[in-house]
Amino acid sequence: MKVIEVKDLTKKYKEHTAVNGISFDVEEGEMFAFLGENGAGKSTTINMLTTILGKTSGSAFICGHELGKEDDEIRKVNGIVFQNSVLDKKLSVKDNLLTRGSYYGLSRKQVLARLEPFSERFEMKDIWDRKYEKLSGGQRRRVDIMRALINNPKILFLDEPTTGLDPKSRKIVWDYINYLRKEHKMTIFLTTHYMEETRDADHVVILDKGNIISTGTPAELKTRYAHSRLVWYTEKGESAESLIQIISDKYVYDADHYSIETDRNLTEFIFEHREEIRDYEFVKGTMDDVFLNLTGKELAS
Amino acid sequence: MMDFIGFTKRNLIIYFKDVLAIFFSLLTSIIIFILYLLFLKGTFVDALNGTLNGLENFVSGADIDMLANGILLTGILGTAMITVPYTCLQTIVKDRESGVDSDICATPLKRWKIVLSYFTASTLSSFIMTSLILTVGLVVLNFMGDLHLSVQSLIAAYGMMFLGSASSTALFMLVMLFFKSSSTSTAFFGILSAAAGFVIGAYIPLSQFSEGVQGFCNLFPASHITSLIRNILLSGIANNIDSSIGGVDNGAFISAVKDTFSFNAHAFGTDFSGMNSVLYVGIFALICIAAMMVVYSKTYKK
Ligand SMILES: Nc1ncnc2c1ncn2[C@@H]1O[C@H](COP(=O)(O)OP(=O)(O)O)[C@@H](O)[C@H]1O
Ligand SMILES: [Mg+2]
Repeated sequence: MKVIEVKDLTKKYKEHTAVNGISFDVEEGEMFAFLGENGAGKSTTINMLTTILGKTSGSAFICGHELGKEDDEIRKVNGIVFQNSVLDKKLSVKDNLLTRGSYYGLSRKQVLARLEPFSERFEMKDIWDRKYEKLSGGQRRRVDIMRALINNPKILFLDEPTTGLDPKSRKIVWDYINYLRKEHKMTIFLTTHYMEETRDADHVVILDKGNIISTGTPAELKTRYAHSRLVWYTEKGESAESLIQIISDKYVYDADHYSIETDRNLTEFIFEHREEIRDYEFVKGTMDDVFLNLTGKELAS
Repeated sequence: MMDFIGFTKRNLIIYFKDVLAIFFSLLTSIIIFILYLLFLKGTFVDALNGTLNGLENFVSGADIDMLANGILLTGILGTAMITVPYTCLQTIVKDRESGVDSDICATPLKRWKIVLSYFTASTLSSFIMTSLILTVGLVVLNFMGDLHLSVQSLIAAYGMMFLGSASSTALFMLVMLFFKSSSTSTAFFGILSAAAGFVIGAYIPLSQFSEGVQGFCNLFPASHITSLIRNILLSGIANNIDSSIGGVDNGAFISAVKDTFSFNAHAFGTDFSGMNSVLYVGIFALICIAAMMVVYSKTYKK
């Protein structure tokens, strides 16, 4: 079942087009990743899909509810982790979560019951009464995710959930995301500018200057846009190069090795030339290569 | 309803859990109190004695003191009615700046409820704070002497706290629309808290200013409320003094006191009766609320 269906969605700010007629679908239970640099239009898209920002044109359906017409229904099924924290710094974790729950018409008891299945996994107990501003970056994110889960959402939107976190906190946040995805079968819609974070996604959409420039599973994208390489550690020389040219004419010499771009299966070739090619390794195409090939730009990491 | 109550509660605790915000919202009132101890009381007493000419034997110094203290209390209340709602409503600007409003807009909470909730929370905060000051003030004054306050007046006084809080809040809701960042709204608060005491006549009675200045000051609901509350709280003791004079002056003293300390708002050449001031404030608030509902529902639908 499709839980998000987007067609020709556009957002214009006066002259500037932030999102330019994008179309895509998200299947129930999948992890869907929006990849793009700063200013690509990721937040703008999420804000439109979560009814925070009005669209300029196009259409979108969230769980069958039409954006712009049934916004209240959409708000009930969405959970959002914002790029920047949106909880009240001076209030305790508890007060923050209870007040947010009330916006959905939930009583204190209902909020507590709702968060119960997650509380232990998210280690809420020791930070429950602490002021939000006193928490570390990783702890805050944890509370942000709890906040997003309060209304029992069908879709969890996460806008750059790990940006600005240290590697350890990043890993913890990812553990939570994977846990929600696997244990709670939650549909995850995620934006990121870290290539490697799209690795486990079921679907990746690459956004550049408001346009979708490619879409597919990570494997598909890699096959299309990233090439595996044979790295051969040897001395630079004519004979080596004539050997390389049998398999590919895309190669460079770098310091102590040739980097040869090829998607052919090289097992036989290497076996035949095992006398010459002794020290080598295969490097698989990465999502970084995909982005580089598509946009000619390298993503910040 | 739960959603509205929940968001209102959140807006209330944002103010009441922030000790610094409470302090700054009452700073002008505190300054007035300190200035009163230092020298304002002297000027009030001098002004009151000035109206006595020849009646000194009929009026006790204690009564004059009570009047001056009462005038101080109304001045403190009038300024708090400006600075407290403004401080509370700065939450709107801060929420917009930090993206908290996005979080609210992503919930099913209706847009008009969001606006009304900011309004309600600020009105309540201001009502609670001013009522608290009023209560403490009355208790202290009661130890110092007799205000000759009737139960009706007492109820009316608390009613004025509410009307003043609601009308100031309505006005500032509109003002908040112009601020894009909390640094500008804070800067404006600096000007406002400096001006508030003058606008409602806490330092110098408004009657001492020109017609034009009085007219301008009485555009603000808080000035009317200050006059109203003076009338309500101090008419009892003033009338008591008047009867102790026993008509020797044909009521000259009491009318001079009421004029000097603006027991009735004076603007555009006329004195407002209490009823007219209440009407003015009420209509003023309703217009602001109507404008606020129209404008705000647009700002929350980006
Ligand atoms: N309120 C706004 N007014 C004008 N332009 C905006 C506004 N918000 C975002 N933009 C522009 O829209 C583009 C997309 O922004 P955004 O969706 O925040 O990108 P991302 O989240 O991918 O970093 C950027 O070029 C940004 O400058
Ligand atoms: Mg963004």
